[in-house]
Amino acid sequence: MIHHVMGNDGTYPLLIALWLLPLLGAILCWGFGPWLKARAGWLASALVGASFVLAVLSWGAGTQSVGGTLGAHQSLLSWIPGFDFGLLLDPLALLWVFVITGVGALIHLYSIGYMDGDAAFARFFAYMNFFVFAMLTLVLSDNFVGLLIGWGLVGLASYFLIGFWFFKPSAVAAARKAFVLNVVGDVGIMFAIFLIVANVHSIGFGDAFAAAGSYATPTLFLICLGLFVGAAAKSAQVPLHTWLPDAMEGPTPVSALIHAATMVTAGVYLIARCAPLWSVNADAQMLVGTIGGLTALLGAILGCAQWDIKRILAYSTMSQIGYMIMGVGVGAYEGGVAHFFTHAFFKAQLFLGSGLIIHALANEQDIRRMGGLAKKLPYAFVVMLVGVLAICGTPGFSAFFSKDMIIYGTLQHGHPWLYAVGILTAGLTAYYMLRLLFVTFLGSYRGAVDPSDLGIRHPELAGLPSDGDPAPQDATAHHHAPAWIMNLPVGILIVPSIFAGWLMFGGANSPWAHFFAGQFPVPNVVVPPISEGATSAIVFACVLVGAAVAAARYASKGALADAVARLRSESVRMPALLSNRFYFDAAIDALCVRSAQLAGTFFGRVADPHVIDGTVREAAISARWMGTLMRSLQTGLLRAYALILVFGAACFIVYYALAGGR
Amino acid sequence: MILNPFGTADWMAIAPIVALAIASLLVLLADLVARPAISRYGAVAIGLLGTAAAAVLAAMQYGHVYAAFFGGFVTGGFTTVFEEIVAIALAGSLALYATLGDPKRIGGTVALMLWGSCGAMLMAGAANLMTIFLGLELLSLALYCLCGMVDRRGARESALKYLILSSTASGFLLFGMALLFGASGSVLLADLARPQLAANPLFWMGSGLFLIGLAFKMSLVPFHAWAPDVYEGAPLPVTAYMSVATKAATLAVFARVLYAALPAGTASHVMLPVWIVAGISMIAGNVGMLAQHDLKRLLAYSGIAQVGYILTAMAGGSALGLRYAIYYLVAYTFMNLGAFAVATAISGEHEEGARLVSYAGLARRRPWLAAAMTFFMLALAGMPPTAGFLGKILILATSADSGYAWLGGLLVAGTAISLYAYAKVVRAMYLPQSGDHHVADLRPIAPLAWISVTLCLIGVIAMTFYPLTPSNVLPLLR
Repeated sequence: MIHHVMGNDGTYPLLIALWLLPLLGAILCWGFGPWLKARAGWLASALVGASFVLAVLSWGAGTQSVGGTLGAHQSLLSWIPGFDFGLLLDPLALLWVFVITGVGALIHLYSIGYMDGDAAFARFFAYMNFFVFAMLTLVLSDNFVGLLIGWGLVGLASYFLIGFWFFKPSAVAAARKAFVLNVVGDVGIMFAIFLIVANVHSIGFGDAFAAAGSYATPTLFLICLGLFVGAAAKSAQVPLHTWLPDAMEGPTPVSALIHAATMVTAGVYLIARCAPLWSVNADAQMLVGTIGGLTALLGAILGCAQWDIKRILAYSTMSQIGYMIMGVGVGAYEGGVAHFFTHAFFKAQLFLGSGLIIHALANEQDIRRMGGLAKKLPYAFVVMLVGVLAICGTPGFSAFFSKDMIIYGTLQHGHPWLYAVGILTAGLTAYYMLRLLFVTFLGSYRGAVDPSDLGIRHPELAGLPSDGDPAPQDATAHHHAPAWIMNLPVGILIVPSIFAGWLMFGGANSPWAHFFAGQFPVPNVVVPPISEGATSAIVFACVLVGAAVAAARYASKGALADAVARLRSESVRMPALLSNRFYFDAAIDALCVRSAQLAGTFFGRVADPHVIDGTVREAAISARWMGTLMRSLQTGLLRAYALILVFGAACFIVYYALAGGR
Repeated sequence: MILNPFGTADWMAIAPIVALAIASLLVLLADLVARPAISRYGAVAIGLLGTAAAAVLAAMQYGHVYAAFFGGFVTGGFTTVFEEIVAIALAGSLALYATLGDPKRIGGTVALMLWGSCGAMLMAGAANLMTIFLGLELLSLALYCLCGMVDRRGARESALKYLILSSTASGFLLFGMALLFGASGSVLLADLARPQLAANPLFWMGSGLFLIGLAFKMSLVPFHAWAPDVYEGAPLPVTAYMSVATKAATLAVFARVLYAALPAGTASHVMLPVWIVAGISMIAGNVGMLAQHDLKRLLAYSGIAQVGYILTAMAGGSALGLRYAIYYLVAYTFMNLGAFAVATAISGEHEEGARLVSYAGLARRRPWLAAAMTFFMLALAGMPPTAGFLGKILILATSADSGYAWLGGLLVAGTAISLYAYAKVVRAMYLPQSGDHHVADLRPIAPLAWISVTLCLIGVIAMTFYPLTPSNVLPLLR
C-alpha cells in the first residue's frame, strides 16, 4: 500500500505547466510591474486560476491507480544515482494543489480590491505568485530535497510578504522572527534527509518509504523528530509558534492565504506525506499527537485573551492546526487532512471577512473599538457568522465533520487524553470565536469612545499594532462599502465553508475515503467504548456550553448595555499569564537569544581571533613557506629540472627493481 | 594477393583522425595559395569544421567496436569519450586563437593543432605500445612547435625546454616499452594482462619506466618541473590546448593500462608509485599555486593537482571510479578552458590576461566576465554548487570505498590549500586595489571569446545538473 506514493513511471507534462504558471506570473509581475500597473493583479489571478483549472483537469490522472501505483508522475532531472527529481500528483498532493490554487486564486482576486492604491501593487502580486509557485514545489515534489527547496522558498515568500510594508518596524521584526524560527525547522528537515540518505541512498519518497520497516527504531525516531521540528516550525506548533501571531503584520490577504489556508499547513502535509514512517514508530506518533493536542489547547486559551481581530484569528489558526497535527500524529490521516481542507475555506473566509471590516474601518483592528457593525456591515456580518458557525463545528457546517473525524480518531488510535483535549478545545473554540463575533457586531459602535475608557493602556501588550494595514488611505469615506471584487471571493468561499464537510459524511463509504483509497497506511484501530455519534453529541454539547458562556458574557442585554465598562474591566483584569502569552516569547528570549548572544560573544571575542584566526594564520604562514620552497626548486634552469626528473625516475626504478625481484 | 596496408583496418575506426588530418592539409593549402585573401578566421573556420566533423564521427563510433592497425587502435565508448574531450579542447583553443593569434603564423599554427589532435585521438584509442608511442610523439612534436610559434624569447625557451625534457621522458617510456615487449613478446596491451607476467622482473621494470614517461606527460610531481615554465612561455591558446588535450590523452592511455593491461592482482603493487606521486602532486601542485603571479603558471600548478584528483578516482580500479574520473575530467575541461577563455578575452597582443595584475578591478570594468571567471575559479577550487564540487565529492566517496582513503585525505588537504590561490584571483577582481588603473582602457572583446566563455559556462553548469556518467565505458575498453 505505502509504496503507492512512488507514482507511475509514465510522464505527465501537464504537471510542469501546473507547477510553473505561477512562477511565470511572478516573473512577469516583477519584471513588467511598472508597465502592468493595475493589470498585474488580474494577470497574477489569471495564472493561479489557470493552475487551478489544470489541477481540475488532472483529477483523473492524480487519482488513478495503475499497476499498484497511485497518481501521476513526471520526471524532471536524473542526477547522480539516488537523486532523481520529479513531480508527483497523488490524491494527497492533489488536495493541497486544489486548495493552494483554488483558494489562492480567490485571495488573489480579493487582493486586487484590498491592495488597490498601494504603491507596490505589482510587487505584492509578484510575491503572491511566487508564494504559490513555492508552495506547489513543496507539495508536488516527489523527493525530500525538492520538498525542502519548496519548504525554504515558502519561508522566503512568507518573509517577503510579512515584511511587505517594510517601512513599519514591527512588520520587519515580525518577518525576521518568522524567518529565523522557520530556519530552525529547515535544519531539522535537513537533518532528517541526511539520515534518510545515509540509510537508503536515495532522496525519493518511494525509496524512503519502501524501507520504512528496515530502519533501526532509534534512527527512525530521529528521522521523524527532525521532520517534525520542521513541521512544528512551519505549522506554528508549541514551542515554535510565537512567530505566527506576529506574522499578522502582513497585509490581510497574506494572512488568509499563507498564515491560515496553505503555508502553515505544510507541517500537516509533511506528516501525512511521511505517514509510512510515522505509522511504524509509536513514539513519534505519541510525540506529534501530544504536541498537536497541546497546541490546540494553548492556541484556544490564548485566543480567548486577544483583542486584535487578526490575532484572535491567528491563535485560532494555531489551535486548528494543532487539531490537524494531532490527527495526522496519532494516525487519523484522513481526518487530519480533512480538517486542513475545511479549515482552508472557513479560515480564509474569516480572514477575508476581517479584512472587509478592517478595510471599512480604516485599519482599525481592535475589536474593543468596533461593536454594532452588524447593521453597518451586514455583508461582513454574514461572512463572519458563517465562518464562526463553521469553525465552531455547528452540525451541518464543514468543521463539524472534519473535527469530529480527528477527535474520534484519537480515541480509535488509543489516546483518550487527546480525546479529552480535543473536546475541551472545541468548547473553547466556540467561546472565543463567538466572543469575537459578539464584541464586533453586536451592541453599539465604540469607535468614538476614548481608548483608555476601553482599557487600552499598553497597545503593545494588548497586541494592538501601533498602526494597522496602511493600504487603503481613504479617510473621507469612513465606512465605505468594499468593491464587489472583495465581496465576490468571500461569497464564493461561503459555499465550501458550509458544504465541504459533507464530503466526509458516511465513514468508509464517504467520497473522502474513496478519494484517499490507497494513500495512507491502514493501522489497526480499536473499537472505542464511545461511538462516533456519541462523540459528536459530546463535542456539540461542549460547543453549546462555550457558546452559552460567550453569549452570557458578551451578548446578553446587560452585557451589551454595559459594554464599555465590561470590556474595560476585562482588559484591566486580564491575568498576566495570558496577556504575556504564557511567557513563551520571554522564555525563548532568555533561553535561546541570550545564550546565543553569549555564545556569539565568546566566539567573537575569544575563539575566533585566538583559536581559528591563529590556526589559519599559522597554516597560511607554513603554506607560504612551502610555496617559497617550491619556487626555489623552480629555478628555470634546464639542468635543475632534469635533475629533479632523474631523481624521481631513480625512486621509481628502485621500487620496481625491488617489487619485480620478489 | 594484394596486401592490405591497413591489415584488418576498418576505416571507420580512424575516421575522426582522418578528418582532422584532411582539415590540417586544407588549412596549409589555403594558407599557401590564398594567404592574403583568407583572414585569420578562414583558417580557424576550416579547423573548426574539421573538428566538428571529427567530433561527429567519433560520436557515431560510440558503442561500436572498430579496430585498425592490427588491433593497435580500437574504438568504443571509452575512446569516444576521450576523443570528444580532445575535440572540445581543440575547438576551444582554435576559437581563442582566432581572437589572439599572430596573422602571419595562423595557417601553420592551426595545422599543427589539428595534427597534435590527431596524435591525441590516436592515444585515446591506442591498444598497443606502438600506437601509444606514435600518438604521443605526434602530439608532442606538434606541441614543441606550437610553443615556439610566437616572436618572444620566452616562447622559444619554453619550446626548447619542453623538447629536451620531453625527449628524456620519451626515452624512459620507449625503454620501458622495449622491456615490456621483451617480457610479453607482444606489443598488444591486452597481452600484458597475462598472469605469468606477474612473476617476471622485466615486466616490473618495464612498467616502471613506462609509467615514468606517462607521469611526465601528466606532469606529476616530481616530473612536473617543465609544466609551469612551458605553460608560461607558450601563447595563451596553446597553453589552453596543452593543459587539456595532453592530460586527457595521457590519462586515456593510463586508464587503459590500469584497467585492461595488468595481470590480475598486480594493479595495487604496479601502480603504487603512481598513487604516491599523485598524492604528492595534490599537495605540491596546490602549494605551488600560492606564490604565482602569472595566470598560466597558476593554472599549470592547478593542473598538476587536478590530475592528482582524477588519478585518485581511478586508484581503486573500480568501474565507478573510472566513471567519476571521466566525469571530473570533462568538468575540468570546461572550467579550465573557461578560465583561459576569460584570460584571452581581456588580452591584447601582449597577453595581458596572463598576468594576475590585469585582473585588478575587473569586476567594475567587465562585471559579467569577472562573474564568469569567479565561477570558473570556484569550480576549479571545488566549491559547491559547481561541477567541481560534485566531482570531488564523488571521487572522495569512491576513494573511501576502494581503500584509498589516504588519497582522499590528501585531496581534501590539497583543496583546502588551493582555496587561497583561487580566491586570490577573485579577490583581485572584486576588491579595490592600488593597481586598479593598470588596464584601465576597455578594449573591445572579440565575439568568439564571448562565445567561448559562454559555452564553457554552459558546459560547467550542465555538468552540475546532468552528470555525464557513461555507464557502459568499461565494457568497451579494449
